[in-house]
Amino acid sequence: MMIIMKPNATPEQVDHVIEQVKAAGLNAHLSQGVEATIIGAIGETHNIPTDIFEVLDGVDMVKRITQPFKLASRQFHPENSVFPLDGFTVGGEEIAIIAGPCSVESRSQIIETAQAVKEAGASALRGGVFKPRTSPYAFQGLGEEGLDYLAEARQQTGLPIVAEIMSQTQLDLMVRHIDVLQVGARNMQNFNLLRAIGETQTPVLLKRGLSATIEELLMSAEYILAGGNKQVMLCERGIRTFETTTRNTTDINAIPVLKNLTHLPVILDPSHATGHADYVPAVARAAIAAGADGLIVEVHPDPAHAVSDGKQSLRPEKFAEMVRQVGQIAQIMGRRLASVERSTSKV
Amino acid sequence: MIIMHLGASKEQIQNVIAEIEKQKLSTHLIEGVEQTIIGAVGDGHYVAKEIFEALPGVESVQRISQPYKLASRQFHEQDSIFQLDGFSIGSTEIPIIAGPCSVESRAQILETAQAVKEAGANALRGGVFKPRTSPYAFQGLGEEGLEYLVEAREKTGLPIVAEVMAVAQIEMMEKCVDIFQLGARNMQNFNLLRAIGETRTPVLFKRGMAATIEEMLMASEYILSGGNTRVMLCERGIRTFETATRNTTDINAIPVLKKLTHLPVIIDPSHSTGDSAYVSAVAKAGVAAGADGIIVEVHPDPAHAISDGKQSLTPEAFARLVKQVKAVAEAVDRHLVPQHVQA
Repeated sequence: MMIIMKPNATPEQVDHVIEQVKAAGLNAHLSQGVEATIIGAIGETHNIPTDIFEVLDGVDMVKRITQPFKLASRQFHPENSVFPLDGFTVGGEEIAIIAGPCSVESRSQIIETAQAVKEAGASALRGGVFKPRTSPYAFQGLGEEGLDYLAEARQQTGLPIVAEIMSQTQLDLMVRHIDVLQVGARNMQNFNLLRAIGETQTPVLLKRGLSATIEELLMSAEYILAGGNKQVMLCERGIRTFETTTRNTTDINAIPVLKNLTHLPVILDPSHATGHADYVPAVARAAIAAGADGLIVEVHPDPAHAVSDGKQSLRPEKFAEMVRQVGQIAQIMGRRLASVERSTSKV
Repeated sequence: MIIMHLGASKEQIQNVIAEIEKQKLSTHLIEGVEQTIIGAVGDGHYVAKEIFEALPGVESVQRISQPYKLASRQFHEQDSIFQLDGFSIGSTEIPIIAGPCSVESRAQILETAQAVKEAGANALRGGVFKPRTSPYAFQGLGEEGLEYLVEAREKTGLPIVAEVMAVAQIEMMEKCVDIFQLGARNMQNFNLLRAIGETRTPVLFKRGMAATIEEMLMASEYILSGGNTRVMLCERGIRTFETATRNTTDINAIPVLKKLTHLPVIIDPSHSTGDSAYVSAVAKAGVAAGADGIIVEVHPDPAHAISDGKQSLTPEAFARLVKQVKAVAEAVDRHLVPQHVQA
């Protein structure tokens, strides 16, 4: 990192900073400019907070040169990480399409949806049973009962299950029932939860927080990776901006930026990122064209009567059409839909 | 829709109704359990909602119909297709506009024009009046730059897109330039918009850095209402909290605009990312999302560009982008402009 001294910093203050750099196990590189003195702190800095230098007398500011994340970074792991899930892989040539309702509402709803999304080309089933709803009065999810229905849907379709975990207390139960743990946007910086998930070996779908920078997203992934759980997929799901036409603003830049910074698979959630079913297929195509490794899409057999997120849920027929369009983009990107592989390799 | 305060008096409601009638709208009264709502029905796009907001007893006023008309798809259902010099925009054809941020010298613009033409560009961009953040930064070559642009057009046949910054520049620019660019910083320079509306030069209209989609459409309405109907809208990234990129590409804006308006929609991945490493991915995303064209910064020597070097592609990288965008266009049942014999 680079420690920039104030223009009027005294030689004693500069010396003190150099001592502190050395005390942190780093080498100091002094450069005395015309206007300001800069001290380079060289070494393994990702685990050293900038604050320890910022508070010293005479220091104007501290800038990190290397990334504050390590295990997530492409510098550390130049090759793409490819994770095998049940029947397909994420992060390689295959494009994963995870689809299903926002919430598991009933046994028949989730089983019907699972069948429909499978037929349309989904490679995994999503469905929330613990729901982080903005209002405490809104439907909070079916809980354990919902997990049983998800397990049944998996038995009937063979689709692996993605469901959101909201709290550490749900971890034991979820790990037994679920193939991929989703960490929701609202929990992206729930660090206790991240650490606990890091202790498991269940693959994770980590969603970007509503106002989290890309660097913050990668730092959160680092919590999970540091615990020993290597299978983290990152998910762009739209960020909060001043625009009001859509529920969120899809940060499509995040796809190539993340692919550049990290080896972890990157997927996009066009349902939350737009908040409107009409815009989901366009943004899904854009994501794959930008280099995303997969999609997670909300599908409901009857969006008008969905308990949650009806407005942004696709009908199964619209979803099938979206999958067809995404397949065409995948092909020209030199990739293929995971579901295609699945139907030819299985049965 | 005018929502009255809890406990608004009968007189206040009557007063609002009188004002609605004065605006030649009809009234639809809804008396709820808690609050009274008054619908103002009719062609309300030109009625300012402030008129009602200021009346006593009014809590809020919500527009149900769009505040813009000429730009809206309700008013003009079919996609607008503009025939420009050598290509069309808004059809199944996807034109590519490319060139440097600024015209820096005669040699630079001529070299770039040839290079982008060979790589497949359909129009040449190049700024001669530059709205730079710092008053000390290069402000553009001005009229001299226009002459170089004209020469580049003569040599390559590519039509010219250049930014107009002030009403005073319109007359001169109109003579030299094929398409006016209205820059992000001028999106709500209403005098400039009105003056451009008086011309018949096509306009590439950029979204302001913190402008909503509705504000953008309202601003385009200024030009359309002057009688200049050839306005292309351009998403060029918005200001957000993210710092990894110069701006945040609002990719949602592409399908949203295509739904709300009949005007062509293009994307500028150079400004919307600010980094040449990400331009190609976002260009492809733009076309995959339904954009009608792209505008890209290309410089023969980005490291020595006077402005926007970091986000400019080399001609070789641009040629690769064109190839990739072509494939995406075909995957969404569209195509690049056919390369026919040009004069």
